[in-house]
Amino acid sequence: MKFRGKITDIACLNHFTRVVTTIAKLTKTCVLQLTPDNLFFILSGKVTNGGVGMRCQLLQANFFHEYQMEGVSSELNQICLEVGPDNLSRALKTVQCAKSVKIKLSKKHCACLSISAELPTLSSVSRVVTHDVPVEVIPRRLWQEFQEDNMADFDVSIYLPPLKTMKNVVDRMKNLSNFLVMEANLKGEMNLKIQTDLVSVSTHFKDLGNPPWGEDSSQDGGLSQSRDPESMAEVTVDIRKLQQFLVGQQVNPSKAMCNMVHQSAVHLILLHEDVSLQYFLPAVA
Amino acid sequence: MQCVVTGGNVKVLGKAIHCLSRIGDELYVEPQEDGLALRSVNSSRSAYACFLFAPLFFSRYSIPKELSFRCKMAIKSVQTVFRSLATLEKSVEKCHISLDEQKDRLTFTLHCKHGLLKTHNLSYQDSESLEAVFDKDSCANVLRAQPRVLVDTVAHFPTSLEEVTVTVNDERMWVRNYVEDESERSKVMLTELCLAADEFDQFAIKAHNSITFCLKEFRGLLLFAESTGLPVSMYLDEPGSPVVLSVTDSVLEGNFVLATLSDDRSPPKSNRGADAEQPQPSDDFMNDDMDSYLIAMDTSIAPGPSTSDLPAPPVAASRKLPAPNNRSRRHSEEEEEEDGEEDLERPPDKKFRSLFFGSVLPSSPLMSTQPVTTQEVLASDSEDETEAE
Amino acid sequence: MPLSTISQSQDEQYVLLAILDNARNLSNILKAITCKDHAIFTATANGLKVTVEDSKCMQANAFIQADVFQEFTLKEDLVVFQINLTVLLDCLNIFGGNTAAGVSTALRLCYRGYGHPLTLFLEEGGVVTVCKINTQEPEEPIDFEFSSSDVTNKVILQSESLKEAFSELDMTSEVLQITMSPSQPYFRLSTFGNSGNAHYDYPKDSDMMELFQCNKTQTNRYKMSLLKPSTKALAISCKVSVRTDSRGVLSLQYLVRNDDGQICFVEYFCCPDEEVEEE
Repeated sequence: MKFRGKITDIACLNHFTRVVTTIAKLTKTCVLQLTPDNLFFILSGKVTNGGVGMRCQLLQANFFHEYQMEGVSSELNQICLEVGPDNLSRALKTVQCAKSVKIKLSKKHCACLSISAELPTLSSVSRVVTHDVPVEVIPRRLWQEFQEDNMADFDVSIYLPPLKTMKNVVDRMKNLSNFLVMEANLKGEMNLKIQTDLVSVSTHFKDLGNPPWGEDSSQDGGLSQSRDPESMAEVTVDIRKLQQFLVGQQVNPSKAMCNMVHQSAVHLILLHEDVSLQYFLPAVA
Repeated sequence: MQCVVTGGNVKVLGKAIHCLSRIGDELYVEPQEDGLALRSVNSSRSAYACFLFAPLFFSRYSIPKELSFRCKMAIKSVQTVFRSLATLEKSVEKCHISLDEQKDRLTFTLHCKHGLLKTHNLSYQDSESLEAVFDKDSCANVLRAQPRVLVDTVAHFPTSLEEVTVTVNDERMWVRNYVEDESERSKVMLTELCLAADEFDQFAIKAHNSITFCLKEFRGLLLFAESTGLPVSMYLDEPGSPVVLSVTDSVLEGNFVLATLSDDRSPPKSNRGADAEQPQPSDDFMNDDMDSYLIAMDTSIAPGPSTSDLPAPPVAASRKLPAPNNRSRRHSEEEEEEDGEEDLERPPDKKFRSLFFGSVLPSSPLMSTQPVTTQEVLASDSEDETEAE
Repeated sequence: MPLSTISQSQDEQYVLLAILDNARNLSNILKAITCKDHAIFTATANGLKVTVEDSKCMQANAFIQADVFQEFTLKEDLVVFQINLTVLLDCLNIFGGNTAAGVSTALRLCYRGYGHPLTLFLEEGGVVTVCKINTQEPEEPIDFEFSSSDVTNKVILQSESLKEAFSELDMTSEVLQITMSPSQPYFRLSTFGNSGNAHYDYPKDSDMMELFQCNKTQTNRYKMSLLKPSTKALAISCKVSVRTDSRGVLSLQYLVRNDDGQICFVEYFCCPDEEVEEE
């Protein structure tokens, strides 16, 4: 099992750091899955996280100048590590001005992801910094937890409004209530609502558009025809969990959408050129 | 006592007080012939700081000739005088410090823009002299760097980190985060920074030592050094001996004396010491051969021993560490003064040695780098009834 | 449902209807009086007065003139209701409350009368938020009987010069003592904290002093906890008038200029704490 990567482009380093920082805002620990083509940061939706799940995929070729890995075996060519994304983020942030940054799996006092960089100095010799981020190698028998689930059949899929607007609204609603109702229909309308003894607030977004899902997706292609476009799918979520997702966003996605399973779950999807981030929010009882 | 500070020096004075507030809760004020001494010590007496402002720092400096006066006061209250550090330079034209012994109060008067006059009458307690015993010149190693170099260095460590280990050899300085508990080592991120000697203005190494000291106070001094643009000198010796950090210019001197982790119970050459002797390339920038840093591990079982060619990393595995309960004692901010004294009574099992208040006095003048050599270096703090060691 | 599509007929059901192009012009000034949750809204033809009280000893009022609103319609001579101010502020700032890039939140504020909620329609960038905030039976605000004919001492200062003093106040002091006098120290703020006392003296000829009318030396103490919230008003104001009457009741009037250059007022009244012996 071997892994070594090198980032030499400052824009790639910046981008990678932002992605990792986004992950760090969402969870304390997660699984880093390395495959020959991709890096995945995964949080499986266990009860201990309140059912919140996350899956972030990065195309390695778009970040790394060099990327070499050898998985557990040739037929299972991947590596699964448990890692604290906050450590990774902190380490990467201190090497933003580096000429190149190396990340490798190493065995020191424990298994580590070693992030090392040469920092420019005023003197002729550069400064070298190494951050050893402790990781835990996850045994193969536990791997199935991290495999991508098939997307659940959703009732409504809709593009999200600008995340900043949504964050502002959710931030204020969080001051007023613990729970928030998300509603959306196939007419491109989405509502965020709260209701308490003191106040009811509802924010109405429209003309958001509904993403087309191909026939081969898990969703029934004919659903949009059979469903009344006015009819709202509705999910009540823990407002702090939704806020956490919105606060963390460091990457401006090219597409942001949301799949809703009526009274059951919200599945937020952010697509960037070379990154995708999915976030699963279960409905509260 | 009458002292008047004007212009940019008001901000320097304010910065010094903020910097001292990182050390302890009390400010010891002593007007001396060679200048105004402001000092602080932490509750466990493992960190001490002193600023001496020479008479020339003031536009007026007069102190009672006949009787020496010393006092201590809550540092927080003095901080409020210099609360708005950012605007201090713009808003304050003159700061007047005077003593009213009848009323037991020290008065700070700030003459500000637009005729605004701020008068702070602060109560104080009499105190004996507080001075740590240290001898910069006997330290084996002296390093001096521009504040930026050190500020950039500590920026790699989280603010929550308590101690760093600094290792020197003839060409380099390494800084690492110190992890006390061996079992913690596999849970925390270990950071190591390597600086070449030529990043320093001075790099005079006689002994390849590795010392561990508190980062918080170090950061405090760096804040001061950065704002005043003064280079920082580090005087460091063997583990257990205090490290002295100082800044000086023609009218002021600041010395921070920080206890270092005692290394008594480990072999004379610890792993880290050995590491300093024969530095291994801490990374592979010289050696880009892929295989040399790939390692083999099997995931289906617990990670086995490394099969890599790399020698074991330079961790202080064999190093004996003091019991952790002392650690919490030392770090408790609310700690009562008595606890500090209690510590003094039991030097063998504490993590950091207290600083030498009332210990045997060497006779050489210690702060010999300055016009302030007449300062009495080795007074004891009479409040410590107990003798250290 | 953009604001423009709400029909006139709906408007007619309201006893109070106020329209504002920029909700910040309301939220900023309301922020300056937040010290307790409950606020009494009093609407008259002149505009809106919002009152907050603490401990029966302090009262903060915000005045928003009718002409600050693009439309201000009142069906009755006087409309009074009580509302949770914190909740109202969260609603007014639902879109973040920033002025960045010239975007502002449009507001339509409607009230149907006793027993009905206060309804807010807010719109920014085509997104509409509807808030219904429950109203409560209004309490009778305290009359401090502060009369301008009974003013003993009065100074007007540029707020800038007081901001520093208020940000530095020694909060370990239970009181803030204000001395106003025709002779030295003219205008003095004092605190008496754990580790000593502090005095801030403003000379009468300071260029920060716009008006100095002191007839008699007066020294009064006010509870720090009651006066501290006025710092928020100070922060957004450009001038402040400090007045005391013969009883020692303090009036602080803040002149606030909003985003559109219009002028609003905030006024704090505070009863003196106790008789003070001269130091």
